[in-house]
Amino acid sequence: MAAARPQVYIYSNDDSKPTSQISLPAVFKTPIRSDLVNFVHTNMAKNHRQPYAVSKKAGHQTSAESWGTGRAVARIPRVRGGGTHRSGQGAFGNMCRGGRMFAPTKTWRRWHRKINIKQRRFAVASALAASSLPALVMAHGHRIEKIPEVPLVVSNGIENIDKTKQAVKLLEQLNAAADVERSKASRKVRAGKGKMRNRRHVQRKGPLVIYNEDNGIRKAFRNIPGVDTCSVERLNLLQLAPGGHLGRFCIWSEAAFQKLDDVFGTTKKKSQQKKDFMLPRSKLFTDIQRIINSDEVQKVIRPKRRKPKRAAIKKNPLKNPFVMHKLNPFSTVTKRAALKKHGLAK
Amino acid sequence: MWWRHAHHVLPVSHMRRRPANMEAETAATGAGKPGKRLPTVPESVLKKRKTLQRIREARATATATAKKVRPFLTCRGYLLSSIKLRVSTFQVQKQKRKDIFKRAEKYVKEYRKNERDEIRLRREAKRYGNFYVPDEPKLAFIIRIRGINGVSPKVRKILQLLRLRQIHNGQFVRLNKATINMLRIVEPYIAFGYPNLKTVRELVYKRGFGKVSHQRVALTDNAIIEKALGRHGIICVEDLIHEIFTVGPHFKEANNFLWPFKLSSPRGGFRKKLNHFVEGGDYGNREEHLNQLVKRMI
Repeated sequence: MAAARPQVYIYSNDDSKPTSQISLPAVFKTPIRSDLVNFVHTNMAKNHRQPYAVSKKAGHQTSAESWGTGRAVARIPRVRGGGTHRSGQGAFGNMCRGGRMFAPTKTWRRWHRKINIKQRRFAVASALAASSLPALVMAHGHRIEKIPEVPLVVSNGIENIDKTKQAVKLLEQLNAAADVERSKASRKVRAGKGKMRNRRHVQRKGPLVIYNEDNGIRKAFRNIPGVDTCSVERLNLLQLAPGGHLGRFCIWSEAAFQKLDDVFGTTKKKSQQKKDFMLPRSKLFTDIQRIINSDEVQKVIRPKRRKPKRAAIKKNPLKNPFVMHKLNPFSTVTKRAALKKHGLAK
Repeated sequence: MWWRHAHHVLPVSHMRRRPANMEAETAATGAGKPGKRLPTVPESVLKKRKTLQRIREARATATATAKKVRPFLTCRGYLLSSIKLRVSTFQVQKQKRKDIFKRAEKYVKEYRKNERDEIRLRREAKRYGNFYVPDEPKLAFIIRIRGINGVSPKVRKILQLLRLRQIHNGQFVRLNKATINMLRIVEPYIAFGYPNLKTVRELVYKRGFGKVSHQRVALTDNAIIEKALGRHGIICVEDLIHEIFTVGPHFKEANNFLWPFKLSSPRGGFRKKLNHFVEGGDYGNREEHLNQLVKRMI
């Protein structure tokens, strides 16, 4: 099953009707390793951090000295001199007002992370594979209910679009506008201090348009909310799996789609672009249905159990006459006799 | 990638929709023959039908043979649980019910007879100026009154042996020299006495659970009792009650089958747990008064 490579339709960029077909590149059959993608993403995301630190001198710009013992005050260093509120106040310590913090942050903190190249490449391949599964893309939140096919490949004309108007029209024709709408509608002011730190708004991610050659496509799609563009030769995990979660909705240009086999290679053929890289093969045979329905398994499984045996709810026989009768058939006779005796039954 | 086939939205080509082994087939057969019709039912479905057919046939023959076999009756009158005849035909069940009915009837008569005998003997003795010495009680019901903490080792061990591991756990116990001495040691921790028939019945019916393969199973059906104790001739709840109340020959097995009774705290409370019943408290032997306590705890 994993070896089978179905045909994918290419949609015209004029009227979004299926034109030709193309075989699915091998990347989309890579095992989906969400754990790996998450790992690579968390580390990659650290790489565009800017260092922050407290001032080196903070809290030390006094000549405070401890008064020592015998003066009925704590032994914390105190500011010298007089004539101001500041004199005699504690200084230097992290517990003091105006003192330096505990373990002042330094710029030479290790901000960036190295990730093995193989892991990086595997992660991107995995993310691409995930983007070809409608279930995962929907789970990621994209509104792809009406798009014609996943993965969505559009003919090369898309790369020549240079007007945003045309770009929007194309997205509407492909029924991808719903995802763009979602992104637009979700724009909100960020919760937290980020809003005053130049990260004012947050919004969902929309489609990722992947092209081979930029003949205007980048500028055309640039201003559409939520839409990102990416060259197929420089696929970015941070865009393919935003937040470390698989399943970004990708729109491919035909040329980009064709190029994937070159860029990533197959499980048997090395990649042209990435040195010494072949697509990873899965360790397990993942087609569960095939395993279950195989002769070897079907021969030895037992027939389906008719009805599972469940514990009966215990009812109190002293109160419930039917249960009592079930346990002791004679009880009805005794009860009846007793009732008769008291004239309550015939 | 089964989901690939499940979720595809229109218009997906036919080639996409077909399951895996079909693709293998087409590759083999369809490749060189463009005009050949492809089979419409997938191989996997055909195989499944075959196996189901086989299972149904096997089941049919099994029931047919089972119906022919007659159950055989032992001296005790019933199927030994060790005989693996899973024959629960209607006739056998019916016979069982009749038997249970008769036994229950017999016991009712027996209890009444014993009661009246006691009374008769007392009266006779009085009449002739003799003394009637009734039997010493054979059966006691113990309830653990005190909790887990701060228990001395000897007492702890005995309570364990009596299966009273939790507060308000109750247990039937045969009274003999051995057990009486045990009870004496743990006296401050238990309230015990001599249960009457009503108490025994109510305990078994309402709070009766059996020990079935190390599990506490509710006594919702006579079959449970029969399976566990059938070999001793106890096949229904009434048999069990009779065995316990009259401390029959298989009292040990019957009592052991019963999981320790988990009783509620007494409605209306205790008088004073720390004193003996005789001193105005609660622990120790309270003989007939136990029945009232159990009534409040059941």
